[in-house]
Formats: sequence, structure tokens, C-alpha cells
Amino acid sequence: MRYRVRHISRYGYGTPVDLAAHMVHLRPRPRSFQSVVSEKLVTSPMAARRRDGVDYFGNPVTWLFLDQPHADFEVTAESVVDVEFPTPPPSGETLPWEDVAQAARLPVAWQEAEFRFGTPMAPLNDSTRDFARPSFAPGRPVLEALVDLTSRIFKEFRFKAGVTSISTPVSQVMHRREGVCQDFTHVMISALRGLGLPARYTSGYIRTRPPPGQPRRQGADQSHAWVGAWLGPAHGWVDLDPTNGVVVKDEHVLLGWGRDYSDVSPVRGVILGGGGDHWLSVSVDLEPEPVG
Amino acid sequence: MTGPHPLDEMADGNGGVKPHWRGLLSSMFSLGHEVLAQRARLLDETFAEEGITAILPGERAVNWRCDPIPLPLSAAEFNALETGLAQRAALLELILADLYGPRTLLTDGRIPVDIVYPNQDFLRACCDLTGTRRDRYLFFYAADLLRGGDGIWRVLADRTDEAQGIAYALENRRILGRVVPELFRNQRVHQFRPFMDIIGESLQALLPGDSAAVALLSAGHADPMWFEHVLLARELSISLVESGDLTLRNGQVYLKTLRGLQRIGVLLRRKSGRLIDSLELAPGIGVPGLMEAIRGGALRIINDPGSAVVEAPGLAAFLPQLARHLLGEDLLVPSQATLWLGEQAMVRTVLRDLEGWVIRPATEGDAVPVVPMQLPAEERERLAARIAARPTEYAASVAPHPSVAPCAGPSGLEPRPVALRMFLAFDGQRWRAFPGGLARALSEEDGLAGRLPRNAVSKDVWVLADDSDAVEGALGLFTPTLAIRRTSGDLPSRVADNFYWLGRYLERLEEGARLLRAMIARVLRPSPTAREMAEMHVLMASLSSVGMADPEENGAVGVGMLASGVLRAFRANGRMRLLLDSVAGQVDQLRDRLTGELYSVLTRSLRDMTDAMRRLPADTDPRALERAAMLTTEILEFSATVAGLAAENMVRGGGRLFLDFGRRTERAQAIATELAEVLDQPQAATQPGRVEAALRLALELRDSVITYRARYLAVLQPAPALDLILADDGNPRGLAFQLSALRLLLHQIVEEGDPLVRAIDPMLQETSDIVQDVMQSPDQMATTARLPPRLRQLSQSISEVADQVSRRYFTLLPIAHSLGLENEEFRGAA
Repeated sequence: MRYRVRHISRYGYGTPVDLAAHMVHLRPRPRSFQSVVSEKLVTSPMAARRRDGVDYFGNPVTWLFLDQPHADFEVTAESVVDVEFPTPPPSGETLPWEDVAQAARLPVAWQEAEFRFGTPMAPLNDSTRDFARPSFAPGRPVLEALVDLTSRIFKEFRFKAGVTSISTPVSQVMHRREGVCQDFTHVMISALRGLGLPARYTSGYIRTRPPPGQPRRQGADQSHAWVGAWLGPAHGWVDLDPTNGVVVKDEHVLLGWGRDYSDVSPVRGVILGGGGDHWLSVSVDLEPEPVG
Repeated sequence: MTGPHPLDEMADGNGGVKPHWRGLLSSMFSLGHEVLAQRARLLDETFAEEGITAILPGERAVNWRCDPIPLPLSAAEFNALETGLAQRAALLELILADLYGPRTLLTDGRIPVDIVYPNQDFLRACCDLTGTRRDRYLFFYAADLLRGGDGIWRVLADRTDEAQGIAYALENRRILGRVVPELFRNQRVHQFRPFMDIIGESLQALLPGDSAAVALLSAGHADPMWFEHVLLARELSISLVESGDLTLRNGQVYLKTLRGLQRIGVLLRRKSGRLIDSLELAPGIGVPGLMEAIRGGALRIINDPGSAVVEAPGLAAFLPQLARHLLGEDLLVPSQATLWLGEQAMVRTVLRDLEGWVIRPATEGDAVPVVPMQLPAEERERLAARIAARPTEYAASVAPHPSVAPCAGPSGLEPRPVALRMFLAFDGQRWRAFPGGLARALSEEDGLAGRLPRNAVSKDVWVLADDSDAVEGALGLFTPTLAIRRTSGDLPSRVADNFYWLGRYLERLEEGARLLRAMIARVLRPSPTAREMAEMHVLMASLSSVGMADPEENGAVGVGMLASGVLRAFRANGRMRLLLDSVAGQVDQLRDRLTGELYSVLTRSLRDMTDAMRRLPADTDPRALERAAMLTTEILEFSATVAGLAAENMVRGGGRLFLDFGRRTERAQAIATELAEVLDQPQAATQPGRVEAALRLALELRDSVITYRARYLAVLQPAPALDLILADDGNPRGLAFQLSALRLLLHQIVEEGDPLVRAIDPMLQETSDIVQDVMQSPDQMATTARLPPRLRQLSQSISEVADQVSRRYFTLLPIAHSLGLENEEFRGAA
């Protein structure tokens, strides 16, 4: 599928800000299954200094430094991508999950191993691990168990915006069984790590469909997040979306991944001076584009 | 901690004394136990006075003492340690370069990922993704060493983050040389100055260009190691800066000074690497973009922000193999034998005999080892359960039996176990060891290694010269470093701000003492007259207007209640106590800018006054008020002394200017507000007696009664009284005098052509206008009674000018806020 993505973040500050530094993860990561046809990132006001680079995890990242007083700041990232996530292997053919956990401890898996340790936003936690247990019967092929867990989170958690924030711990999401995609992703990552399986946080977008008979509303889409899970040395990583209970295929666009949200938060910044009550408004559009 | 047969540092093993102890021992014996014990007390006092401990008790609980008996190391012993520790430093450098580079040590399993990935000090932002980095990671290294019963020094902790403690070693030597000079006679002890010069030169050599400077980055005066930061910055003649002083412009790092931005090319880092960049690392305190400045080559940070990762206690288990792999050598100075508990067999070994080990988190370099041998049985079991649940998170080292060395005790010498921290620096070509160290006499509670404790008995470490060694300079004497004279332009803005506030707080303290003294004098009178009662109420109103008393207390009728109101200012959380704390806080932050003499006067007085306030008897005790009166006198004397010393130019650089500016501003405002407060009484306009009484009180508060009498005898009239308080610029207690002084200071502080230079003129005009208006009025009393709004306006104008000056010339950089990682609502797609 070919998609056009437009992601606008607008900051408004109560009083003008003297200096600002931003680090943004807003440019899609090129992969064998995702080619970036075009991309551009513009800001208003223009940054005094900008550098495009790659972060530790290989994700595209942009640093922006502003040194003139400004009362608002807007970053617009637009891109066109062709994307089709690889079809995972037949789940019955994947390794028993315990073998994957074991493989993750071997030196050959030194890179994947990074994602099996707890992190501040996706820590090891008894309640998430215990929730996952029923999906992980002894000897069960890992992908089968993963798909089962994905759909259980989809069914048993309620999507509810506005009840969680960046500082809501997974244990609370687990307890209240509600939140948004970032929360469900952290819950699932925490659970998998608790079982010794490498799991990573993936940031991106998802195609949304308006209710039947209604037009798509402009800017109504949002950032999305899902889970990357490791299937062992032979099959590598698979992308699973617990918010929608699906294996990621062709309705998602990838920005990048990390250990948890904080590694790939779309916008992160520090403002100096002024500020007052600042606000952020985000508008995201993901639209399919005819190819050619 | 001592095992059955700890090695004695003094003994040669054949019933004799090691040769390098002999000279020291004979000096000690010729001094005698009593003298030694007395010198030990003197050392304690000197340490307290030099402010190595906190200024006010409980403020920053660091309490270091120095034992009078040093720990000598022979030349051969020192050389072997230097070679061995240099090898370790070189090894750790190679490991860092690999972990932040190609990570071959992880791919081939030579270092388990468990020691690296979950390690908070593995800073992914420091990784060299392009493979182009050529800079070193380590310039400083320290090692915590213990000597076992077999006579071998072993490293219990490698310190690569900040390698703290060298300033304590310098201070031990300096003070020991002063307090017990006899020990140094006929001894060839290596001096520290050459080593410090090497550090200074090596840092300068790292600068990218002539225009940039080196600075020491501190977490600020709340850091337990603040004393070290101050002393080190002074030793190396570099600026002491905090994150809030630094800013990034066009990829370069600058220090905000009074005359603009000064480029910084090298930061000697004395705060955790995890906290230096609030954009890429932990949000909060940090300079946003610092990591980008490093990547762009504009800045070097020493040691590299990510260097603490190799402090991981678990890494020690792999160092012997890593030394062979990376250097092709065996470790010359080994680690205390350590296991990383990543394998079941090892976990079982350790849990079978937990008392034979010391336990640390595998990835936390700063951790102080837990000694199971010292734990009660149930705590030991809890520890065992934690280890069994998550073994990979722990490292176990064989419980050491540290060697003992003689220390001065209350009844003569007593042997106590010692830990030795040694320091190394890279001079551009090779690693060199500091010819000394920081030894600690350990008691049961003391940590064996890791972060430095807040309480400790330390020892000077002597490296004795070989016959072939040249020992530079006079033996055993430490030359005090000359203070660097900085011009006020280079003064960091924060320092100017600190001086300004020190001035303001000192003045507030003085004003408070003046008001309280006047009040107490009246309360103490056996049976106050009606006029005195009225004055007390006026004073109470003035006191509450400056926060010295609760406004509600002014309704109090009885003298007893007024007395309690006054005493409250000196009690815990009372205004005077808080002001003393504020003064102490500023003094602490400014200690690198104050001469030693001024610093000692300030700290000693602050401590004495706090003590006196603490010991103030209860309200019901008749002596309480008399003591309080004495306190106000002490405070006024203190204030006069500080003013005198500051005028004698005992403040470095441009500090005095800002100190004065703060004092004059505060005093000018106080005079105007206080007069307004005193005059502001009901029915003053219709009762001339009230105005007269008010003016009498105002003259008293300004210490101007005698001057007034000398000029006008006993007749009190408003215009002459107001002239003396407001408009006479020859009265040092009057407003015009303060304003004229402010005008002069502004000329020195602000840049030429700045309209602020003339900002004081209209205020001076207003003071003489007020006096003229009263003089020409047919009813002077009534006109005077209407002055309060004008006086308050005057005070307001003074405050506005002070704000403008401080904002333009010496406020800090703007406050930073993080976006995107603090409590923001998650917005996610369904």
C-alpha cells in the first residue's frame, strides 16, 4: 500500500520562549518492506540549527535548535511510503516459546537481548506476566502464543483516551484494563519480557476508517504504537498490534522502534524562558494514495 | 570486618617495623600520645572551620575528619601500584571504546549483555554510530583498594565516572602539614603540586581553540561533594559552573557571564553523566543539546558521560580474561575475586556461604557493598531470597579482611582496618598516579568501596621518595595556591546573583535585628508607659510587615504575648533562623569567591548564632528576652564585621560590587517602607502627638537619635527629622546616602550609555522634595502623616531598578521546561 502521512505538532506558549531544543522521531524508517518515496520536515519558526541523523536504534531522528524568542512552534512532517509488512511464518512452525527465551540468552542474540530487559515504562512486572501466562502453555509455538495474547489484550482491555499519561505505570493499566495504544503496547512488552522474550516498542501510524457513510475527518488520526516480538533466530521479528488485535500487515506505517516510548517519542523538547502554560495540539492524517 | 589475621601495615612480618614507617613512628613517639591526641582534636576543629563539613549542621551532612597519622607507601610499593592501576585504566578505556563502538565484546560473549543493557550508566546517546570517534573516554580514574592478609593490594571498585575524592586528599595534606608539621621533618614525601599542574595542562591541551575555556561542571552546592568541586576548580584555576549557567548557541557551548557569553570547550564533569543533557538523557536538570555539541566536536566532557558503565561490579568477574584478550597481559593489580551470579552453579556457591562474600548490584558502580557477615540472620535471609529470585542482578566478591594501620584513638594508638583510594590521570601520553591518596579508617558501618561516605575518618597518604627520586620543592610543605584574580566581567552571572542575594539577606538580618532590639528594649521595661505600649504596637506592625512577626499578634494586649511574638523570630522556622540559613546557603555557594579569612569569619559566626538561637530559653523563662537582646547585638556586630571585611576587598573579583548593590538596595527599601509603616497610624493626621512619637521611633531605628540631638537639641520637628532620615546624604543610616551609593555602584555595574545609570536621580530628587514639601507646609505634622503612599512608591521604584539591573546583568539563564516526557497525556490511535 502507498500512504501519504502528514503529522503536525503545534506548541503554544503562554509567554514567548527564548530558546528551545527539540529532538523528534517523525521521519519513517526505511526497511526492506517499507520504502520512503518522499519525506520532508519543516518547522515554523525555522530552526537556527537542524541536524538529521540516526539514533542508537537506527531510527531517523532530527535535532532542532531555536534561539530567537517565539510564542508558538510548529513541526510538520510529511511523507509518502510504500509499505507491506512481511507475512509471518505459519505459527505452528515457530519455536516453542521457551526455546526462544533460551535463544535470547545466547551471545548470538546479543542485539535482540537488548529488548528482554525491563525499562522504566515497560518494566518486569508480576501482574503483566501472570496475565500473559495462560497464552503461554508449556511448549506452545511462540507465534501462536503471541497472537493469542494480542487478541486477549484487544478483547479484555477497553480503549479509553484521556485516562492515562506518560507517567501511568503498566501495573495501573493492567489493573484498570483501560488506556490507549501506548499503554497496551507497554503492557504486552512488559508481559513478554517477564517471560524472558525480547519485545520492542514500535512507533508509527495506522489507517483509520470513518464510520460507514461518513467522510474521513481531516487531522483526526493519531500516533500509533504496537509491539515487535522476537520469534527466534530463524524467523526474526514479528509486528503485533494489541490495540486492534491483529498481526501488522498493510495498514500500518512504521516510524521506528526502541525499548519503550521514551526511546522514540515523536516529539521531545526543552524550552527555556517563558513557557507559562504551554499546550500541544497534534493533527495526523494517514491517507492511502494510488500508486503511479 | 577484620578477619582472624589482618595484615598490619606497619609490621614487616618478622616482628619488626617496615623501613618506610620508621621515620614516621619516631616523630610520633617524640610527640607523645597526649600531644598527638590534642593535635587530633585540633585537626577536627580545623576541618570544621575550613568548612569541609557543612556550614550549618544538618544542612549537608558531610563530616570528614582527618587522622593525624598518615599512611606511608614506600616508593617501590607506589610504583607497583601506579603501573598496575595504569594497566587497569588502559583496559577500562579499551572496554569503553568497544562497548560504545563495535561491541565485539558482546558479540563474542566476553562480557554478558546483562551487565551492559540494564545498566543505567550505559548511555546509548554516547554510542559512536559512525565509527569515527577518536577521542578517549577516560582521563581520570580512581580505584578503591584493600590489602589482604597475603600482602596484596586488590581493587574492590573501579571508579571511572567522577573519580571523586582527590580534593579531600589535598586538603588532608594541607591541614596536616599545618597542624602537625613535626611529622614531616626529615621525611621525603612526594608533593601534589606537580600532579595538579599536569591535570591542569592536560585539560588545557584538549581545548579546541584559544577562545574557549575549561570549566568544572557541578551539580551545585547541594551536592555532597560540593566542597571538592570548589577546591578542585580553585586548584585548577577554572570556572565552577552548573547546568543553569550553560547555554547552546549554534552548536557551541557558552557560559553566561556578566559581559556576555564565554565559550566553553572542555567540561570537567563532576555530576552524573546521566544528568547532563535534559534533551537526550534524563529530563530535568541538564543542558539541552550537550550531547549534540559533543558529537559536533564543539565540546569535550571529561570523563566521557558514558564512562560509568565500566564501574559495574559484575564486570570485575571478567576483567582477568579481558586483560588477556585486549592487552595480552595479566592484571598486575588484581580485583578482589568477584563472581557475576549469571550461572546457577555460582549462585549456589555464594548462597551456601553467604557470610564469606560481599554483595553488590551487578550494574551499579556507586553501590556500597553489603556485608552479609554484619547482617542479622533474618536480613541475611531476605538478601539470599532476593539473590535467588534475580541472580543476574548481583555480583559477589570474596569478603575481604583489610589490613590495619595505627590511628589516633582516645587512649593512644589503635589499629583500624584501612581502605585506600588512589587517583590516576592521563597526561596525553600515559597514565600517572597521584603521589598520595585518600585512605579511610574503617569502622563497621563504613562502606568498603563505591560512593564516598558522608562521615569518615580519613588519612593522608604519603608516597615516600626513593633516593633516586627528585622531590620538587621544600619537603612536606604544601604551597598554598595563589588565588586567581578575576575581573568582574568574567564573573559568571550566577555568582553575581549569589553576591547580590548575600547582600540582601545580610541586610535583612541586620534590619530584623534592629527592629527586634527596639522591641525587646521596651518589652523588658518593668512597667511600660502608655507611649511605650503604643510604640510596641507600631514596632509590631513593622515587624510583621517584614515577616518577623505574625500580624495577628499585634492585637495582643499583654506584654507577655508580645514577648512570645518576638521570641518566635529566633525559634525553629522563625524569620531570623531562616535568614541565617539563607545567608549560609549563599556563603556556601560563594566559597570559591571568598577569601579564606572572610569565609571562616562568616561560617564561625553563622554557626555560633544558630547555636545561640537553639539554646534560647523557653518563653516563660525570664532570661529568654535578655538572651534575645544579646543576640540582636551579636547580629548587628556580625553585620558590621562583614561589611568591614568586604570593604577591605576580601571578596574576589567583582563580587564586592554586587554584595554592596544588594545591601544598599535592601537598606534603601527598608528605610522607606519602615518610615511609611511607622507613620501609618490611625488618626495620625489629627493627632500631632502620634506623628511626633512616630518620628522619634524612626530616628531610633535609624540609629540617628544622637545625630539629631546634636543638631537640633531636644526639639523634635518633622522637617529636620525627615531630612536626617531621607534627604541628608551625609547620614550613613539615611536613605539619600544609600541612593547615592547605589548611583555610584550602577556606574560601575552597567554598561556605558545604559539609561539605568540615571535611574536613581529622580529618587534622590523625591527625597529632597518630600522634605521641602513638609517644610513649606503650614501644618508639618499633617503633611507628614500623609507621606506613607509616597514613601511606599519610593520603595517600589528602588525595587524596580534593582530588578532591571539584575535581569539585564546578572540573572541566570531562563528556566528550562521539558516537553513531551513529563506527565503528558497519551494520545494514541485506536
